[in-house]
Formats: sequence, C-alpha cells, structure tokens
Amino acid sequence: MNMEELMEMLKENGLEVRVQSKMVGVRKKIERKSLWVNVERDGLKKAVELLVENAEEFPHFCVASTSDIGDKVEVNYHFTINFGHQLEEIQITFRVTVPKSDLWVPTLTDIVPATVFSERELREMMGIEIEGLKDKRHLFLTKDFPDGVYPWRRDETGPKELNKLYEGWKE
Amino acid sequence: MKYEIPIGPIHPALKEPIMLRFSLEGEEIVDVDVVASQNHRGIEWIGMNRNNPVQSIYLAERICGICNFCHPACLVLAVEEIADIEVPERAEYIRVIQGELERIHSHLLWAGVAAHELGFDTLLHYTWMIREKVMDILEVVNGNRVTKAIMMYGGVRRDIKEEDIPKIREMIDYYKKLFNKVAKLFLEDKTIKMRTREIGILQREDALKLAATGPTTRASGVKKDVRQDTPYFSYSDFDVKAITPDMITGETIGDTYDRIVVRLLEVKQSVEIIEKALDELPPGDIISEEKVAKILSKIKKAEGEAIGRHEAPRGEDIHYVKLKEGYENFYTWKVRAPTYSNIMSWMPMLMHHQIADIPIVAASIDPCLSCTNRVVVVKNGKEKILTGEDLHRLSVQKTRRLKK
Repeated sequence: MNMEELMEMLKENGLEVRVQSKMVGVRKKIERKSLWVNVERDGLKKAVELLVENAEEFPHFCVASTSDIGDKVEVNYHFTINFGHQLEEIQITFRVTVPKSDLWVPTLTDIVPATVFSERELREMMGIEIEGLKDKRHLFLTKDFPDGVYPWRRDETGPKELNKLYEGWKE
Repeated sequence: MKYEIPIGPIHPALKEPIMLRFSLEGEEIVDVDVVASQNHRGIEWIGMNRNNPVQSIYLAERICGICNFCHPACLVLAVEEIADIEVPERAEYIRVIQGELERIHSHLLWAGVAAHELGFDTLLHYTWMIREKVMDILEVVNGNRVTKAIMMYGGVRRDIKEEDIPKIREMIDYYKKLFNKVAKLFLEDKTIKMRTREIGILQREDALKLAATGPTTRASGVKKDVRQDTPYFSYSDFDVKAITPDMITGETIGDTYDRIVVRLLEVKQSVEIIEKALDELPPGDIISEEKVAKILSKIKKAEGEAIGRHEAPRGEDIHYVKLKEGYENFYTWKVRAPTYSNIMSWMPMLMHHQIADIPIVAASIDPCLSCTNRVVVVKNGKEKILTGEDLHRLSVQKTRRLKK
C-alpha cells in the first residue's frame, strides 16, 4: 500500500488527511512527508485496525504524545508503516481530541500490544483514563506520586508544589 | 514451586536503575515483569515549562550520556521542520559524521559490556581499548569526549577543520584493519557462541508487535532503519541499507548472537559512511543563523507540530514537538528513546531461560535507562524512598566525616 492508496482508503472511511512535508538531502533531494489524521474517539480503534489489516507488515507503533489545549486534551498516536524500502515508509499520526469533562480513550493494547507503555504514561502524566487497559500501574512516576496531580497538564492539576526541581529554584 | 526473584533497581548486572521481577520454577524463568518507575527526571516537563528552546537542546543532550548526539538531533529536526529553518549543506554532512562517530563508540562500548556479562573480561578490555580511538577523534572534533554540544537549530556549532581530517582518516584505517580480528574474536569464539546462540530469541512477529527498534529488531530480520526508510540530514546521499544478520551468517535466528552480528556490521557500515562523507564534504557555512536571539525569536513566532526521527545506536529515537505562537517553551515535547520500546522485548526473550542468562539477554538490547533522582531502600520489609536531596545530604555528611 503506497501513500496514495492509504490516503484514498482513509478518505473512503470518512477521515480527513493532512500532509506535512519538508525537502531534505544535499545532493539527492527528497521530500520527507508525514500524514496527520483526525479521528473521533469512537473511530480510533477502527482506524488503527484498518492500518493493521492493510499495511504490508505489522505497523510500527512509535509513541503516543499528548497536549493540554485548554478545556480539551489532544492525544496523538504515531505509527510508521512500509519500512524496509527507501522512501516508501509512511509516517502517520492519528489524533483524538477529548474534552476534559469526559477524559477517556479506548485502549489499543488488544490490537497493538506495544501501546501498553504509552497508555500507562498517558494515564499518569495527563490523567487520561484508558478504557480496557489491564495494567494500570504507574510507568515512570513512583507509586506514591500524589493522585490528582498530572505533570503534563497546563491547568490547576499541574504539579505546582513539585516545582522545586533543584536547589535555588525561584518561582 | 514457584518463587519470585527481584533484580534491581540497582544491580551490578544491569548498572542502570530498573527493576525486573522474575517468577521462577527451579532455574526456569516463567514470567517477567519490568518495573521502570525507579527514576524520573521530568526532562519533558522542564522543556515544556522552564527552558527556552535553545536551552532544551543542551537538556536533550543530557537525556543520555551515550546518545548525547541523538536526542538533540531529533529535537532539532522537529523544530527545524516547524519553524522552516534552513540548514547549510556542510552542516548536514557534519551531522552525519557526528551521528556515525557516536554509533561506533556506542556499539564498541556495548560489545565490551556484552563480553563482560559473559565473564570474558579480556575481551572487554580489548574492545574498550580500541574504542579509545574513536573517543580521541570525538575529542579532536568537538573538544570533548562526551556531551559534545554540537547541535544548533540551523546547523552545527563547530566545523571539522582541514588539519583534523587526516586524523579521522587514520581512525578509519585503524578500524578497517581491525574489523576482521574483532569479528573473529566475537563470532568464532566457542564460549561466546555457546552463551549466545539460541539464547534470548526474539521472533520476527514479536519484534514487530512489540515495536522493537534498531539492532534489536534488525537482528530479528526486520529491515527497519530510519537512515534507509526516511532519510534526514544528508543520509539520502549514502544509500544506507538496513543490516540483518543473514548478510554474513546466511540465516536470521533473532538470538543474542545475531544482535552481536548486527552491531559489528554496523560499526563497519559507520566507518564507510564517515569515509564517504569526508570525501564529499561540501565547503561553505556550518550554520544558517549565528545569532541565538534571532533563532529564538523565529521559533517563538512559529506554530505547528512535527516529529524528529534519528537512527540512534540503540534504535529509532523520536521526538514530538508542538510549538504555539508567542509561547516561549515547547508547548508539548515528547521523547521516545529507543529503550522505551525495546524493554518490552525482554519478556519474550527471557522466557524459559535460566537465571544465569539474565545479564547477557538483558544487555543484548543495549538498554539505556537514564539516570536517577531517587532510590528505594528496603529494610525489615519496609520501603523508604530517598530523594536526590537526601542522597546529596548523605554524601555531604560522608565527606565531612572522612575529613575529620
């Protein structure tokens, strides 16, 4: 499945694709592209399944990133497919935007097992509930880390008292 | 009878703070659990709340001492894509040379550690002796062996001087001559073969599903290498091909031995890339904008998001950056170091092996678990957590005690 076929397939499933590109290289100039796809929370699993079923090999799950954008939270799932051949690799990101008042996303661990670390991290760092995740322990934060404090938040639940990161810290 | 044995958080075989809990039946490992939360330095948080983007380059450099070029490289790639910063041709070549020098020293370091885990300390000292050559070149080129502070948005901070090129070429010859000897030592030694063949197998299917990266996934036959798949810097000029063990052994098993093969071949590949880069090194500037204040104001005005990817010695390193106009820090910064993904492969690798295989199998993915700010002390079954400050206080007390 090349990039055109993938974009066609995503469009057929009602998903809008944004392509970001940059020219790189010195003697041999190439265009480095990445695809960004917005999906609804209910459609996330279906979109990832679509990728798993149609990609030549099992997609490589890179990582999940997340941003606090006011009263909503963005969650990005970064994947790459078609690796192994020069310039045929496709970098694709599925983005889910969820309101803080109803902050949960479904787990992807049943489709892509490697998402478990990222989902545990989303939970502890951003306070996003992962529906269906079996392993709900902290990943990076210690087990005694206070509840209701989420280091990556930009609102009142961010780590205020923990700001003292080194001696001599000034507010 | 089933019993549990914890290894870590600080253990001589692992050297870095991570905890593995093994369930054993006799000598056989039947379950593995990784407890990674032994440390968290909040580096992403600092980049998102305290540092400006230029300060964050140096912070990224300190994510890992060995990959101290890879993390800034990813970060710079992502920010350059968002803010549309040009990079001069010469800088793109110097970046490739720096990346490959780092791969050579990292793989040789690993080879030494692997030999040590097997109890073959002569080979450890031999490998680390030959590693000194590349460390010396890093010092010649950067003025420093570790934390080289070479990356900057829009280029690099130091040029490769004309008079240094013969020294780098001498290093290339040195490694070319030594390659066969080192390959023979590692690949034909009976003891190494016995301890690594068919040990810690990662099936191709598992490597894909558990998102393994770098030599770990390539040793299982997945031809995944960012330098080949999505070239960056000037890698498109070098036609890099992902290295899999069948290139010299004729078959891919995905065991610890195969991971040694891949890393050795990659050292050779890196030496060849550096040689070609020196031959074709274009003349010109090394940075597109020298004034840091101008770079900062350009980044402050930029808005958008991008992913920077670099093939680090341990695997694919990824940084996601989101910039917001008028916002001085990164709005979002997510770092995924290769070990983050590779740790998950420990579970299938270690299953049904013996306790004695833990060190070499654990080391075979070349884990890099960056530093600590707290330790857990267990005494009489009660856990007590010591923070960085406590440790510092204890250290000061000891110094005072010794001075008396």
